[in-house]
Amino acid sequence: MTITASRLAAYGPPGRLTDLDEIGRQAWHVLISESVDRAIKGPDPSQALHDSPRPQFYNLTKTETAPDAAEVAVRWTAFPRRVKLHSIGDRKRWEHADSSRDVQDEYCEWSVTRNDAGKITRVTFTCEGPEYWEVLAQTRPDVVVDLYRRHVSPDVQRSDLFGPDGRYRPRNEWNNSTTHGAMHLIQQSNTLDAEIELAAAATIRRVIDGRELTTAEELINCSKYGAAERNSDPHIGQVVNSAARQRADISLADPVGLYIDGLSTDGWSAPDGSDPMGYWRYVRGDAGYPVRAVYEVPVNRNFTVGDITINGRPIEFGAQIADFITVRLTAVVCRVGRSTAAPQTACVQMPQATSPEEILRHASMMAEHGYPGVQRVTRRS
Amino acid sequence: MWERARQRRRATAWERDLPGSLTAEAAGDEAGSPLLEAGRLYRGVSGVDPEPRPMSAEEIARLGDPMATVTFRRGRFPMTVHELLAEIDRSGTVPEQKVFMIGEAGQIPPQNAPQLRRDLRFTLTRAERGSAPDLLISTAATGDPADGFLQVIAWDPVARVFNYYMRITPAWVWTGDSWAALAPESRGKGCFDSHVNGSVVMKELKQPWGNWQSMAAQIQLAPSDPLRADPLYRQVRGAEELEPMIRALVSRWTGARLEAVIADGVLRRPDQLLRQLFTGTSVNLASALTQSAAVSPGQDLVLPLGFWLNADALVDDLGLDVTAVPPSVPGALYLDSLIMFDFRLEEKTSGFSQEGDTFFAFVVPEAAYEDNDVANQMVRKGLVSAKFAACALMVDFPSPVFSPDRARLMTYVPAEATPIDALDERIAEAIVTAAGRSPAGSPERRFAAGWALPDDRWRAEFGSRLSAYLEKAGARIRTADGFGDYVRLAESRRRDFKMMRLNEFELTLPATGIPEDAPRLRMTEDATVATRP
Repeated sequence: MTITASRLAAYGPPGRLTDLDEIGRQAWHVLISESVDRAIKGPDPSQALHDSPRPQFYNLTKTETAPDAAEVAVRWTAFPRRVKLHSIGDRKRWEHADSSRDVQDEYCEWSVTRNDAGKITRVTFTCEGPEYWEVLAQTRPDVVVDLYRRHVSPDVQRSDLFGPDGRYRPRNEWNNSTTHGAMHLIQQSNTLDAEIELAAAATIRRVIDGRELTTAEELINCSKYGAAERNSDPHIGQVVNSAARQRADISLADPVGLYIDGLSTDGWSAPDGSDPMGYWRYVRGDAGYPVRAVYEVPVNRNFTVGDITINGRPIEFGAQIADFITVRLTAVVCRVGRSTAAPQTACVQMPQATSPEEILRHASMMAEHGYPGVQRVTRRS
Repeated sequence: MWERARQRRRATAWERDLPGSLTAEAAGDEAGSPLLEAGRLYRGVSGVDPEPRPMSAEEIARLGDPMATVTFRRGRFPMTVHELLAEIDRSGTVPEQKVFMIGEAGQIPPQNAPQLRRDLRFTLTRAERGSAPDLLISTAATGDPADGFLQVIAWDPVARVFNYYMRITPAWVWTGDSWAALAPESRGKGCFDSHVNGSVVMKELKQPWGNWQSMAAQIQLAPSDPLRADPLYRQVRGAEELEPMIRALVSRWTGARLEAVIADGVLRRPDQLLRQLFTGTSVNLASALTQSAAVSPGQDLVLPLGFWLNADALVDDLGLDVTAVPPSVPGALYLDSLIMFDFRLEEKTSGFSQEGDTFFAFVVPEAAYEDNDVANQMVRKGLVSAKFAACALMVDFPSPVFSPDRARLMTYVPAEATPIDALDERIAEAIVTAAGRSPAGSPERRFAAGWALPDDRWRAEFGSRLSAYLEKAGARIRTADGFGDYVRLAESRRRDFKMMRLNEFELTLPATGIPEDAPRLRMTEDATVATRP
């Protein structure tokens, strides 16, 4: 898709959602713009070496997007690769992925509803970042309650979502499991801030020992912008870096967000011969920017999701559907061939610790994120 | 002639072995075959038609797939992929298009190997909205679109077969349908040397999808590569979206085929189905999910599960419960093995050579989805019991591919029409009877031992054996001797694969320094490697 040259007035809400009031929209713009600016600046060298600045990443509201701009969609599968890697057999990986939101780390989380017979009646998927809900909760808490009641359960009470201090609790009882509702992302790495940071870090070209790194794994291992075992992180990094190697400037398209790109139903079969795609609905987000989807068979059909088969096998887990869901972010690439940014000639490194306190700090970061050299809590782990 | 026309894929693995093959070079400037007239559809089924002949209007009218209905039946003969897509777009049928890309040299940086022809290829799918594709196009991604290969597989919903077409300028040739793949005279010939059972094929079917552009790996292009400006290239999607389509299409043909061979409770030619259970008729290629060059000494590398056993069939389809974890090798041992066994990528046709393993580590043949799908659907439709299928696959299960022991049991499968309700019992009885006069450890005895298990115990018993085997493999792979054996075994299986026509490209698999005359190997249930008889 080609877009016209312009400077964006303000970052819009993900999915072009309309929940925010004017103050909320302004707050959202500031939040994203500041996140982008932080990502352009990169970490302080006291935190990580060879990881800043990121001159090929830019803020859509501060730098013009040039006339040669094109949008590049980056797509990946919602089913968590890390679960797949360490499982024997589909059933075990589906069970594992359905067991906890904390393993659903591909920017897509889901919750499964079953009937008394244990059959699946509904699966809800979300890719809404938690930041949006923090802003919404601060500016329009009543809307937060209304949305939970509409999308999760009419039984939701305000006190279920907000603590005694009035602060919103993202991991509340209606949004902390795979069985009791999923309003927005809660897995610790599934944040928009992490998406922005990853994309920015991936714009740094790496020429190591005279050879430019190009593959997904060598880039993520060198630039340390996420976890190599995921579908999303290495792929986002490789696509973004590929554009950077064309000496382009890169940003994340507005509205910055993670979107459900689609569901494919190849090999699916409904018991009455109806089209299984007909039971897939987007319930939040503008056209082309869905952030929430539901798979559910209307009651009048006299069968349930659990009666639908995929390659002959009944749907027993929400994860079976996740196998067929694609998640997407969109980058903007422009000024191709015009960047004069020099590549980094070393990989990201943690600076040498000079005190016991620093050693402990680095060790705790490794324990938190699973890989060294990263100091920011926004990094994907 | 049409089988050796230059407008077919440049299969580097065959060109050296097939004297007289019409490579692009050998064919000189001749564009296609002079035998064919423009504006015609020919019939050219290898093994049946001694030479291509024009199809009659009646024959063309019987082709009900979208390729035929959109083009040939309207007197249209598009000569490039772009013309073909334009015809399809005009027709309004199969409007949903997705584009995929593959290249065996796709991960070799172009600047490192200027002499290497990259031979990137597009696969395009066209589908009705919300449905699996009905039409697949395979074509060269680079070069003159009027001169590169252009092949089509299209589903005929009335005949319930795939039709196979290839353009040989200035005409098109119908090279057969799915049934021709199974007919003795054309089996294994022409396009059915790879589409051995008449279905669609995606060799690298699973994550990380080997040589395909995917979310696991982007195919590398030079910054100035003109392909970047190609509208089709700009539409390329990840192979993760192609995999479910291919699975659905394979299953579509399997289902149609099973329905067609059953009449009045009698199964025609049981051997043609059950050879896909007992012998395997094809393979897929699996690999570790990790890029070989990214493996570090301190990192564990999980080998593809299909190397150890046919988990797709035994665990996923037949439901055996395995408690072990996938075996993984210490990265240091893997890296040592690349040197010890002189791993390299080689394309003798171009003189290209590069040290190391394939892009994704440890590529091996594994049990084919198209074979497993036949077994799976036979079980689901009650043609054979799950226990029967499990007993068959548990014979020599540590050899999920190329198992002479399992293949031996085909002796007991009838070729003649057989009542469905007696099929598996009849075969099992024949095997059990033969077991009584066969030596200890024979395939017949192993099958019979499984068959004798009570119905409420066989799953647990088989699952325990698989778990014990994987635990032993998981321990042994972490020793230098053990992993060295597994490297030799993997190479042995790769060499079996190289004997198949499915092995089209030299860069699909690594070359090693293991002597060409090294004996073929097999895995045993105690996870040791032995010479294959």
